[in-house]
Amino acid sequence: MIGLRRKKTKNTKIELSTRSYDAMAVMILLAQLPHIFHLPIWISVFGIGIVVMKWWSVHNPGNSKINWVLSSRASVFWGVLGGIAIKLHYGYFIGRDPCVAFLFLLVGCKYAETRKQSDATTLMCLSGFLLLTQYFYSQTIFSAVLTIPAVMSLGAALGILNEHSKRSLASHTRLVGRMLVQGAPIAALLFVVFPRLPGPLWSLPEDAAATTGLSNSMSPGDIGQLSQSDEVAFRVDFDGAPPDTRDLYWRGPVMSNFDGRNWSVNTLQADGAIETDDGAYSSSAGENEKRSGNAISYTVTLQPHNRKWLFALEQASSLPSSGESDASKNRLNPIILSDKQIMSKLPITKLIQYKQTSLMLDRYTPVTEPSALDLILAGKNTRTAAFADELYSQHNSPKAYANALLNWFNTQPFSYTLQPSLLGDRPIDEFMFDTQNGFCGHYASAFVVMMRAAGIPARIVTGYQGGEMNDDYMIVRQSSAHAWAEAFINGQWVRYDPTAAVAPSRVDYGLAQALPEGEPIPRLARLDNDWIKRASLRWDKVNHGWQRMVVDFNNESQSKFWKKLGMPDPQLWQITLGLLILAAAWCLWVLRPNHSALAPLTEDQKHWRAYSQYLETLGVTRLTGETGAQFTQRASAQLREQNELIKRLGLAFSKLNFEPLSNERKIALRTQLKRDLKKLSGVARRAKTNRLAKRAIQGKAPATG
Amino acid sequence: MNQPALRAEVSQMAELSGVVAQLETILLGKRSQIELSVACLIAKGHLLIEDVPGVGKTTLAQGLSATLGLPWNRLQFTSDLLPADVIGVSVFNTSTNNFEFKHGPVFTSVLLADEINRAPPKAQSALLEAMEERQISLDGETYKLDDEFFVIATQNPMDQLGAYPLPESQLDRFLVSIALGYPDSDEERTLLQTGDRRQSIDSLKPVAGPLQIKHWSEAAAQLHVSDTVIDYIQALLNTSRLGDNGLSPRAGLSLVRLCKAFAFLQGRNHVTADDVQHVFPALAGHRLTGQVKSGVVAAQSLLDSVTAP
Repeated sequence: MIGLRRKKTKNTKIELSTRSYDAMAVMILLAQLPHIFHLPIWISVFGIGIVVMKWWSVHNPGNSKINWVLSSRASVFWGVLGGIAIKLHYGYFIGRDPCVAFLFLLVGCKYAETRKQSDATTLMCLSGFLLLTQYFYSQTIFSAVLTIPAVMSLGAALGILNEHSKRSLASHTRLVGRMLVQGAPIAALLFVVFPRLPGPLWSLPEDAAATTGLSNSMSPGDIGQLSQSDEVAFRVDFDGAPPDTRDLYWRGPVMSNFDGRNWSVNTLQADGAIETDDGAYSSSAGENEKRSGNAISYTVTLQPHNRKWLFALEQASSLPSSGESDASKNRLNPIILSDKQIMSKLPITKLIQYKQTSLMLDRYTPVTEPSALDLILAGKNTRTAAFADELYSQHNSPKAYANALLNWFNTQPFSYTLQPSLLGDRPIDEFMFDTQNGFCGHYASAFVVMMRAAGIPARIVTGYQGGEMNDDYMIVRQSSAHAWAEAFINGQWVRYDPTAAVAPSRVDYGLAQALPEGEPIPRLARLDNDWIKRASLRWDKVNHGWQRMVVDFNNESQSKFWKKLGMPDPQLWQITLGLLILAAAWCLWVLRPNHSALAPLTEDQKHWRAYSQYLETLGVTRLTGETGAQFTQRASAQLREQNELIKRLGLAFSKLNFEPLSNERKIALRTQLKRDLKKLSGVARRAKTNRLAKRAIQGKAPATG
Repeated sequence: MNQPALRAEVSQMAELSGVVAQLETILLGKRSQIELSVACLIAKGHLLIEDVPGVGKTTLAQGLSATLGLPWNRLQFTSDLLPADVIGVSVFNTSTNNFEFKHGPVFTSVLLADEINRAPPKAQSALLEAMEERQISLDGETYKLDDEFFVIATQNPMDQLGAYPLPESQLDRFLVSIALGYPDSDEERTLLQTGDRRQSIDSLKPVAGPLQIKHWSEAAAQLHVSDTVIDYIQALLNTSRLGDNGLSPRAGLSLVRLCKAFAFLQGRNHVTADDVQHVFPALAGHRLTGQVKSGVVAAQSLLDSVTAP
């Protein structure tokens, strides 16, 4: 304690200036800003509040209570308290979310106890780190842009902290901005050519994050809720032309378990113990199928949904590959199950990309016989069972029966709606014969129950149906979530989509077309091309491009880049040498002697330059030895229409240049001058566009003639 | 500027324009040259008029001194002129047994040095020394010249026979050099109809006096020269120094002085770039090439190569 006190008195000499505190406060707040989108509100308030309080106390010294709250010891106390509260809030501590939250608080506490220069330097490193951690959450363009002001303020704060002569904040900011711009090309170069590690160097501990999209069970209403969401599920780049919308069945969770109301995936299969061998399924896809099917390949960019499913068009003919040439390095580690679900080893917690090929078929031959699970009929849907018996007896073949059933759905007064009537404890019976309204989930489950009642193995397949082309790639949103049925007929699993029998437009054109008028549709699923939708699609395209070009830039894309340059596999020393030479050349160019920079233009000179440029646009070029008055006279004689304006401007310039004027007079003259210059610039602009238009017409004329 | 001073200046301007107007009646259509000559006198500089015989050099010189009401002497330079003929001579007075200085024609306000390049260099340099120092040293005695001492020298172009061209260093003593040139046909017609103007010089009434000229000089020196103009003048000087015969700092100072005088003559209280351009050939011409005519061309091309404000 004595040591502490002595230290304190020693350091009073190099106390930080108020300006430094201001700059650091801005820097920290900007670094904290991106985090408030995902942090619990109390942590945001705590972390930002402590910064604001410290800033206030710097500007209002002498408030002993506040000083006590912000003392070094109190800061340590706040930090420990915050740590404990975070542990209590999240329930665990080692993980992305609590650790980032803790860092968020610590930066605030560090600011509160900052007294000397070394503290401030530490604080800057900390806020730089805090700024980086926001990329754990989002790697979009938006978050990258959000970082720029924070980096600028960090640089400015560093400048203010180390300043020996007082510069204005604007000049600091300009300096930092210039340094950033000068450094950007080198950073971009390093980004492209710096050797990349094939896999992640480190990974974050997993958090229990919320899942989105399809789940491993389906109860009535699930998909209806999903259909209200505009969120993107995944994006697809097709290698060739995209298939018809009606053929786009993106297979996801397959559900065989039925308890009379809810469907769920086979838990045994979900644990992933079945079919991992590549060869096993390729033999399952018979040669016939391969030939008859239309093979297409595409790249899926899957949004994190915190589950293991990978989506592929029916029927997948390859395992998803992450683009690595060596299969053992495949980051995804995908397996394909006997019911053709594709699963990754780990839940998808970040955006991933994989290549996939599919045969466009509605059936496949499985390796294993259907299990008993595919025949279980739970619940008391007796009317349905009776109807199945009756219908089957009329047809006697599974295929004819299935078609008859589809036909029955089509002819009965079923309606497609996202707001179905509530169902009681015999949901299938009530749906089939009483309410007769619902969406894909209802139809699929009714169909499967009917099939099973007739002794035909059947199950529910969930996934996405359709998609929306955005220029050269497809967006599949949660609103495209769909459920259909699969029945085992003649040794093959055949896809049946009863929804298509009721509302064919759902499959042909998408959700919006199928819904009756007046039902709420998610904005982006609507058919009309309003500007919000257009803007959102454009923005999606930009972000998708960013994802493809920047975030997913890996060693594979890097080696492609080298090949494109005509020098595959450069050695490390070659890269280093090339980098050094390029960086040195860039530095030389940046630092080249700049004579024009020695004497910056005065305000009047800038105005004069603008004036002569406008007149040049209008066709009067200034000669070297011409004085302002002569130039003005010539211009005003040549440009009769602007005579008055040009003369007034010329007079103002000559007054400012030559006459002894009071400051007020100068300011007044300059104000008038600016106004007149604006007018002249308008005239010049109009003249330019007129000239261009004329040239365009003249350019066209001989072509048509 | 306070009110009385302003009023005084306005009246001065009126008189000044009277000077120019009166001179225009005897030298037709040469307003620019007249203005330059008057500005040269206000700037306390010496004037060199160069042209072929018979275009009115002497008329302008005589008219100037008559209009300004200054006592003047005329000295015709000839090939046998001696320095003593210019500055005077010490003569032994037998009655006082002493040397007595007999003042030469240089002891006056305005000296018309006609055809200065006809005299040998020795006589020329005697005059030029007097021009620079405004005093004469002879036999250990110093004789001061008038405060308002102007030399208006005329010279024939160099390609005429029997001429001793002035060396560059001596040309530098002249603030302004002008060429008159032939009159326009209209003016010449008027001239031919109304007869020689030289007789009417005697009838000219003085518009101003020595005191007035002194006031004008002082007022002109007060004129505002903005930084822009100084920048421009500096650029001109620097560019001239890229060649062989650069303009000296003295030439720069003279340029500022002459610009002020010219602007004053125009009734302005500040110097503009146009003033600089207007007087520059007359000031720099003879300094750049050692000749008036080719100098004007050189000065003009210099002006064309420097960005003007």
